[in-house]
Amino acid sequence: MSFLHINNVHKRFGETHVLKGIDIAIEQGDFLVLVGPSGCGKSTLLNMIAGLDSISEGELLLDGRRINDVHPSRRDIAMVFQSYALYPSMTVAGNIGFGLEMRKVPRKQRREAIDRVAKLLQIENLLDRKPGQLSGGQRQRVAMGRALVRDPQLFLFDEPLSNLDAKLRVDMRTEIKQLHQRLGTTIVYVTHDQIEAMTLASRIAVMRGGELQQLGTPQAVYDDPNNLFVAGFMGSPSMNLVKARIVEQDGLPVAQVATDASTLTLPVVRDRNALRDWCDRDVILGLRPEAITDPASANHREGNIHEAELPVALVEPTGADLYVVTTLGGTHVNARMRPGTPLRPGERTRFAFDVSRMVVFDPESERRIRDERVTETTPIGETA
Amino acid sequence: MSAASFTARRGLATRAVLYAILALFAVVYLMPLYVMLTTSFKTLEEIHQGNMLALPGEWTLDPWREAWGSACIGLECNGVHGYFFNSIKIVVPAVLISGLLGAFNGYVLTKWKFRGHKIVFGLMLFSCFIPFQIILLPMARVLGILHLANSTGGLVLVHIVYGIGFTTLFFRNFYASFPDELVRAAQLDGAGFFTIFFRILLPASVPIIVVTIIWQFTNVWNDFLFGVSFASGDSAPITVALNNLVNSSTGVKAYNVNMAAAMVAAVPTLIVYILAGKYFLRGLMSGSVKG
Repeated sequence: MSFLHINNVHKRFGETHVLKGIDIAIEQGDFLVLVGPSGCGKSTLLNMIAGLDSISEGELLLDGRRINDVHPSRRDIAMVFQSYALYPSMTVAGNIGFGLEMRKVPRKQRREAIDRVAKLLQIENLLDRKPGQLSGGQRQRVAMGRALVRDPQLFLFDEPLSNLDAKLRVDMRTEIKQLHQRLGTTIVYVTHDQIEAMTLASRIAVMRGGELQQLGTPQAVYDDPNNLFVAGFMGSPSMNLVKARIVEQDGLPVAQVATDASTLTLPVVRDRNALRDWCDRDVILGLRPEAITDPASANHREGNIHEAELPVALVEPTGADLYVVTTLGGTHVNARMRPGTPLRPGERTRFAFDVSRMVVFDPESERRIRDERVTETTPIGETA
Repeated sequence: MSAASFTARRGLATRAVLYAILALFAVVYLMPLYVMLTTSFKTLEEIHQGNMLALPGEWTLDPWREAWGSACIGLECNGVHGYFFNSIKIVVPAVLISGLLGAFNGYVLTKWKFRGHKIVFGLMLFSCFIPFQIILLPMARVLGILHLANSTGGLVLVHIVYGIGFTTLFFRNFYASFPDELVRAAQLDGAGFFTIFFRILLPASVPIIVVTIIWQFTNVWNDFLFGVSFASGDSAPITVALNNLVNSSTGVKAYNVNMAAAMVAAVPTLIVYILAGKYFLRGLMSGSVKG
């Protein structure tokens, strides 16, 4: 039995169907990130776990207990809100201790708990201040302290970093990750930022339009996306999605992509069995920018590197990398090369394609074309 | 002459005219207060000499003492002090109770919305537009049924009922911009309906509390119509007593005593404004404009 089990959960506001049967199960100590564009229902799902929104249909189980109709305060859940939601008239200590006070914890124990959390979050010197006197980052810490002090079974974070400036956001992200590692707590975290999702999560649930697109480890979601949406949403710069045609060559399926001058043929390594059925049909190839490099940077050990000479359309140095844009199948394709590679737009250069990382999608259904197998990246609703 | 200095001079001239007009209005506006104050410190003989604007030749506190303790109102000659305390007895509970009820209404109407909350609020808002005169007769009947006629208690009830519309409007608008997430956070922390109100919302409501107190205090304290209709004799508020004092027709008109009594009647509202005035505008603006 999993620790938190979201079982076929629906949410309807009148006529609008906001969540259309979500199935997610995580274990104790997991860091689940719900990620998706705004309006995908991730915050609604979080509020339903917290008990702030009712569940229209389905079941919510926490540690084997059905909590659908349990009052928010009795679910043993703490939440960090996007706006921090600090009580403006109370001091930091009062804010952190309020939950304990409501649970009738004696003053002395309360004080000890507040001090312990304040030390953990390094806000000891702020305990007597009011929220209005704190900076954004400090407020964020207090909001986390308020959740931590109660030592609940489950933590909920609702886009906690979206109100911070870019640098602070990265720092706090690291801190949340460290905190999770130290305390081993179970966390459900909502964000629209896929980088936050990748860095923090032990499990990512990608959502769109009230439906779960994929649930899996960050690496699995990144390398093995279920569909075009997940492929395009996760990763920055995003995955290159190129029109191609599958044809049979020497009894094996290969992908043919139109280049400026001719046709580029890329051997298919993954999902060969499934792709046999797709011969002479159009597909969409997905290739991460880091799977297209200069030949010297490519990982030749596996023998899955396929080289081709292509024109350079644009060069974008970021300092750490050099993104080289070329045209494949009628669209721009990003390749990640070593910085300092002397390239100018209009030149031709050799690109190395790591075809072992290539994924293929059905352009109609936008689903991944993959070999039949049960993997952890499949939503549990489909395997159960 | 350069264009810049020309505009500067023109600006100065406009400003001078502006200030002159403002000063004139201020003088006109303050004149009655000045006359009231100086007259209240004059002896009757000095008043009869006729120079209304002159400062008192001989300052005296006797008119104030008389107004407070021995002036004749109707048949009793105990001054206005008893009626002053009547007004206090009416104003304090009326302001506190109507304010608290308004705060509760605002809290429920914004944070615990129920089906039809907009209609309920609309009806309460409508009560702000009902003229006093319309409800005199039905209210007299209600007070009679409740055995509250001719008592300060009855007046307290009238003012609470009449005030709830306004106090609800104030608090609802204020709490509409109060973040819902705070209420949700408090719910998760285990706070209930009343705890959330008293511990989270109310301490953050100082500006609107001040507005409500000023508004309600001034209205209730200055009320004459309800006072004269629903309370008479010993239970009358000071506004009614002042009217009776000034209209008493026995003997010479003691203008100085009348003025002193009028000042006594005006002082509490003045004090409330002076103490809380700076919050007043701030509070009126908050809630109406999200900021």
